[in-house]
Amino acid sequence: MNLRRTVAVAHKEVREIIRDRLFFSLAFIVPAVLMVLFGYGLSLDVEKLPLAIIDRDGTSMSREYAHRFIDSRYFDFKGYSFSERDLEQPITDNLIRAAIVIPEHFQKDLLQGRPAHIQTFIDGTFPFRALTAKGYAIAINAQITADSLASYLAQTSGMSVAEAAAVFQPVKLEVRYLFNQSLKSIWSLAPKLIMVILMISPPFLTALGVVREKETGSIYNIYASTLSRGEYLVGKSVPYIVISTLNVLFLWWMATGLFGAPFKGSFVFFLLSSVLYVTCTTGIGVVVSVLVRTQVAAMIGTAIFTMVPAVLYSGVLIPISSLSRSAKLVAYLLPGMYYTNIVMGTFLKGVGFSALWRDVLVLLIYAMLLFSIGYAFFRKRPNS
Amino acid sequence: MGETQVVAGCSHSVEADRIPAVIRVSALRKEYGKQSAIAGISLEVQKGEIYGLIGPDGAGKSSLMKIVAGVLTFDAGEIEVFGVSLNSDSNAERIKDRIGFMPQGLGLNLYPDLSIEENIDFFANLRLVQSSQLTARKQKLLEMTHLEAFRARPMKQLSGGMKQKLGLICSLIHEPKLLVLDEPTTGVDPVSRRDFWAILGVLLKEHGTTALVSTAYMDEATRFHRVALLFGGQVVAQGAPEEIQQLVPARIVAITIPSPAVALSRLRAEFPQIEALGSLLQVFVEDKAGLDARARVVRVLGDVKPARVETMDPQLEDVFIALLRIKKLTTEPDRTSTLPAAPVSNPTQPKTPYAIEAKELVRDFGGFKAVNKVSFRVAPGEIFGLLGANGAGKTTVIKMLTGILPPTAGSGSVAGADMQTAGRKIKERIGYMSQAFSLYLDLTVEENIKLYAGIYGLPASVARERFRWVVQMAGLEGRESKAAQSLPMGLRQRLALGCALVHRPQILFLDEPTSGVDPVGRRRFWEILFTLAREEGVAILVTTHYMNEAEHCDHLALMFAGRVVADASPSDMKSEVERQSGKLVEIDAVHTSAALDLLVKAGFKGSVLFGSRIHVFSKDVPGDTERIKAALSEDPARSILPRSLTMEDVFVERVMALEQAVETTKNGAVS
Amino acid sequence: MNQAQLAAGSRVIIWLRRLRVMTQKEILQLSRDKVLLFLVLYAFSADIYNAGSGVTLQLKRAATAVHDLDHSFASRELMGRFQPPHFSIIGEVANEAAGLQLLDRGTAMAVIAFPPQFQRDLLRGRTVTVQMQVDATNSVLGFLASSYASEIVGEYSLEAGMKRAGLSPGAQLQAPVVLNDYRVWFNPNQRDDWFMSISELLNVITAFAILLPAAALVREKERGTIEQLLVSPLTAFQVLFPKIISMTAVILAATAISVFGILQPLFEVPLRGSLMLFFAVTMLYVFCIAGLGLFIGTVTRNLSQASMLAILTLAPMMFLSGVWTPPEAMPALVRYAMYISPLHYYVDASYAILLKGAGINVIGHSLVGIVLLGGLLFGLGLWRFRSQFA
Repeated sequence: MNLRRTVAVAHKEVREIIRDRLFFSLAFIVPAVLMVLFGYGLSLDVEKLPLAIIDRDGTSMSREYAHRFIDSRYFDFKGYSFSERDLEQPITDNLIRAAIVIPEHFQKDLLQGRPAHIQTFIDGTFPFRALTAKGYAIAINAQITADSLASYLAQTSGMSVAEAAAVFQPVKLEVRYLFNQSLKSIWSLAPKLIMVILMISPPFLTALGVVREKETGSIYNIYASTLSRGEYLVGKSVPYIVISTLNVLFLWWMATGLFGAPFKGSFVFFLLSSVLYVTCTTGIGVVVSVLVRTQVAAMIGTAIFTMVPAVLYSGVLIPISSLSRSAKLVAYLLPGMYYTNIVMGTFLKGVGFSALWRDVLVLLIYAMLLFSIGYAFFRKRPNS
Repeated sequence: MGETQVVAGCSHSVEADRIPAVIRVSALRKEYGKQSAIAGISLEVQKGEIYGLIGPDGAGKSSLMKIVAGVLTFDAGEIEVFGVSLNSDSNAERIKDRIGFMPQGLGLNLYPDLSIEENIDFFANLRLVQSSQLTARKQKLLEMTHLEAFRARPMKQLSGGMKQKLGLICSLIHEPKLLVLDEPTTGVDPVSRRDFWAILGVLLKEHGTTALVSTAYMDEATRFHRVALLFGGQVVAQGAPEEIQQLVPARIVAITIPSPAVALSRLRAEFPQIEALGSLLQVFVEDKAGLDARARVVRVLGDVKPARVETMDPQLEDVFIALLRIKKLTTEPDRTSTLPAAPVSNPTQPKTPYAIEAKELVRDFGGFKAVNKVSFRVAPGEIFGLLGANGAGKTTVIKMLTGILPPTAGSGSVAGADMQTAGRKIKERIGYMSQAFSLYLDLTVEENIKLYAGIYGLPASVARERFRWVVQMAGLEGRESKAAQSLPMGLRQRLALGCALVHRPQILFLDEPTSGVDPVGRRRFWEILFTLAREEGVAILVTTHYMNEAEHCDHLALMFAGRVVADASPSDMKSEVERQSGKLVEIDAVHTSAALDLLVKAGFKGSVLFGSRIHVFSKDVPGDTERIKAALSEDPARSILPRSLTMEDVFVERVMALEQAVETTKNGAVS
Repeated sequence: MNQAQLAAGSRVIIWLRRLRVMTQKEILQLSRDKVLLFLVLYAFSADIYNAGSGVTLQLKRAATAVHDLDHSFASRELMGRFQPPHFSIIGEVANEAAGLQLLDRGTAMAVIAFPPQFQRDLLRGRTVTVQMQVDATNSVLGFLASSYASEIVGEYSLEAGMKRAGLSPGAQLQAPVVLNDYRVWFNPNQRDDWFMSISELLNVITAFAILLPAAALVREKERGTIEQLLVSPLTAFQVLFPKIISMTAVILAATAISVFGILQPLFEVPLRGSLMLFFAVTMLYVFCIAGLGLFIGTVTRNLSQASMLAILTLAPMMFLSGVWTPPEAMPALVRYAMYISPLHYYVDASYAILLKGAGINVIGHSLVGIVLLGGLLFGLGLWRFRSQFA
């Protein structure tokens, strides 16, 4: 490996990048804009779920029941309705995602010590949201049941309401959320966003690099010179790795500064493993570029093989543990999953190399594998 | 240093006693899929030689050069470069430090956003040139190529000629022992081309460098030490240019006849190779023992009396075509007498006195005046040639007239309509062919033609008819369903012409339509243009770097630095130059470049190289002939003869004078 | 018919003919690029299949460790209720530190700790606290885990309380409890594959609808063929619109493959509404989004620039269109930004048609959104193209 030749290739690449003003600015704008948009917009918290209530009872207890939902921040009360038929339209039209039907005699049944039956309808189009909504509803309903039982017991046995309440809740569950105490999703999201943005953007920076040289013919300068394949691939990717490393710094700053995510681990370890990660994602672009013949194919191929999987298999929207075997395979084939462990570890858990060395190793092997594939398929003496 | 390396390389070779060839190719074969590109080529290139590859498009030149440079694999046979057999990728790597390679395509291997200096530095670093050597070498090469002043200019802003010189510097910066240049001068104007070869010649000689070069310009081929004529992936002929020329001993008889139809049909029966360009017929007459070429032609013509008859030596180009013809090798289908009869002309086309009229057209590109008050007129049925060096503004003029680019100032009318207000109306009446023959390469011949037929709104029946006409005109029979990509350059270009003609335009704009096309293809192309102009009254505005093509134009405008500096018929232009600079004297020297130096020293400042000959303008022919003889007394020339001017002489003379003038004013301004 | 009518008629015919040949050209070019075709087919079949079959959003067998200081019948009984499908007990830890270590390494997702004398206190009527530590690095899963755990503990607690109050659990019906009957509409079994396959299909459609026209236009610019079109009598509209028609046709065909080859037979997506309507909406959507692609094509000089701009628009659309992230939960600014994303309307309309069986009357306002935005984008592209070349 000759340093001077490698530097020459890298230097030329840098000049070309910088002189393509639009491209150069986009290389930094894209990650930053995505970070802001995702950071503020990608809230997975299911809140303010549009809700309608049909209160057929119209008593103080039914109203109180309804108010438990209306006052919850998880639901956004859109109004009372009179019949289930009236709900059809807004539900199909996505104006309402959940509805509660309180039957007649609700108050009467409870006061007489009989169970009351409530119906809850949830729009199941988005199963994940439906599940969460159901969770909220169950929790609220459980609380109401306990209260109702307590007041019933207090009435019948003469205990105070507080004592009666203790009877019906002998076991309490105290949940402690580790690593992210407040369950604020932006905290756990911000580090993952770094991962996903650096999975989307770097491959696009490089995907057209080699194939464009093939289309214009300047690749012959490389073929005809003594520059080795390795020198070319390294020289070609280093500028983009540097750009992406700068982006790592910007994104880190945004995560901690703008979104206030805690950073507990070692910055040096984070930075070094991030360089390794962007080397991998940059490498994906280089490999695509080496393999295809036309720029259009490189562009669309990169979109299909990095951007689309980034939505599903990166663990940002869907936890990796929720993936089936075949989908997990895709996740394991992407470098993002291993890097997720690293960002989550350094940001939220404050762990370092001793806990994360496996992921670092995988990324290292990944980078070397990509390089080898590029090396094997980039021929200085092609057959056409 | 070169010696030792070559000898070292040769130690692998068995025959140690022979002078080792730099390149030795034997029974080489290369296939792309099912298509064979090289079908058994054997040749040797000796040290210090300039070895030329000529041949029609698709003959295998580029493939061969790439294989030699070690950037393409081959399928069978053997190839040794510097005694190293290129049978593996790693072996191919071993020769690359001694090779400089410039692929086909004007400046395509350079980096458009990098400046001249940055481009050179990149190549130098790639080749590990010592920085101390680099500074000196760069300085020298930049000075030689007159690029010194433009060091910091981005490559994309260079003219074609400058790009080519920069490409040369980049491939020479590491002082290679072998230089492989694939059509380095295609698309470059005559003056820049001349410059290019002169510089190359000096540099090669200085270092004893060997060169493998291909070209589409036959006059350039005469400068090479040896030439191989390739066809269909095989060597058809090989040897020094003179030897090749003698393979088909012949004379050219040029006759001028106002209405040549009868003459043409009579001559065709006897002489298979005739170039018919309007009223000028150039008959290639092969030598037959004891028979005078001129007499034979006159006899065949019988009662048809030509206005003028001239005989001359055939050019290498003529011999090239003859060789292919004799060996029954041709890319062209058998041609019927002339073009297929065109369907009846479009009756709605109004007749106007001028098909194109440009009035004081100006185009500014951010302070830089690419076109500066250009005016000219083209009549229907006229072939109007727009000449000029690369970057003179020809393409910009065409783009303004075709409505791609709005003019900064000035006006123009095309097909009788104002070009600024009647855009759509004009567009239906013009055909345009750009430098890049903008075809859809992934579509087939038929799909391309039918696409344009549809774009111009032809109904299906007319479209079918026109499709057949285009296929026949362009000689594409049997290739209707081939992808445009797979066609050789010449056919591609005629397909592009066909697409531009599919709607029977009144006016045709052709921007360097023959760039990169082989001589056979070029001739055929011009025959078509003549038929269009003469028989259908189509006005044709054409730009070209082939001056023998300019010769065929009815009228010429010479552009320089955005202005039209001369506007006349070719013969008027010639007589104007003769009036100013004198008659032309052609010197056939034994050692051309030495003789050229001597002549310049003797005061013949305007001496320039034309192929292997030297051209000098003289106002006193007998006197100057003596003076030339005296100057060359140590190494007498084979012949010193007056010669009629060609357009190339005119162009070179004119443009060089203009460049000189610019230089002087610039220097004047500085001092 | 008079002369003028005839002339007008032939003008219309020529206009249509131009549109037709240009459209054919685009489709032919597309069909010649084998790699591209492969990518289209892959994305619309294998990719969607993988997405549909590969994702379950339920909390499945969350690895749970127990730190039991009581080792009583009661603690074991409650622990026994942490069962699949939601939980799976992976074992016991001896001390708190060991539990934390498991969480640290990611071996366990939750640790449940029972205090000493859990059973005794329970029997004595004291309120006892069971602690649960949840790895909330994934906040969604963390929430689900705690929510299911609360449900389990709550149920256990209620039963214990009722027992103490003398109400036997079997006689539960006699107590004043609120029984909630949950019914999930449109996807009663909460099948993730329905949701996932549709969502992936919409994403893939969006990606191609932007990338293909952008690439087609930039390629013509890079190769110089655009000049040839500009000197022809084609209008800017006639140059650009056929690209949209052809890309739309290709994407619709691919969508049909997806719907009839993957969604329907493999995932049994109910397809309740009119498929005609779905394809019509898709056509409209692709039309509009393609306008965005063309706009990108007009403002960029090379494909590198085009692809960077494409992600800048594509990625937010795919992540924030409302499939994953409910617009309700977004801050106002981002929410408004999403209202200008055509995908937002398309997602609403598509799910409404496919799963809810909605008709045109219901999705009307989504359609208006798509048409307005699309028309604007195409107009913008046309305007840029014109100002660039004329």
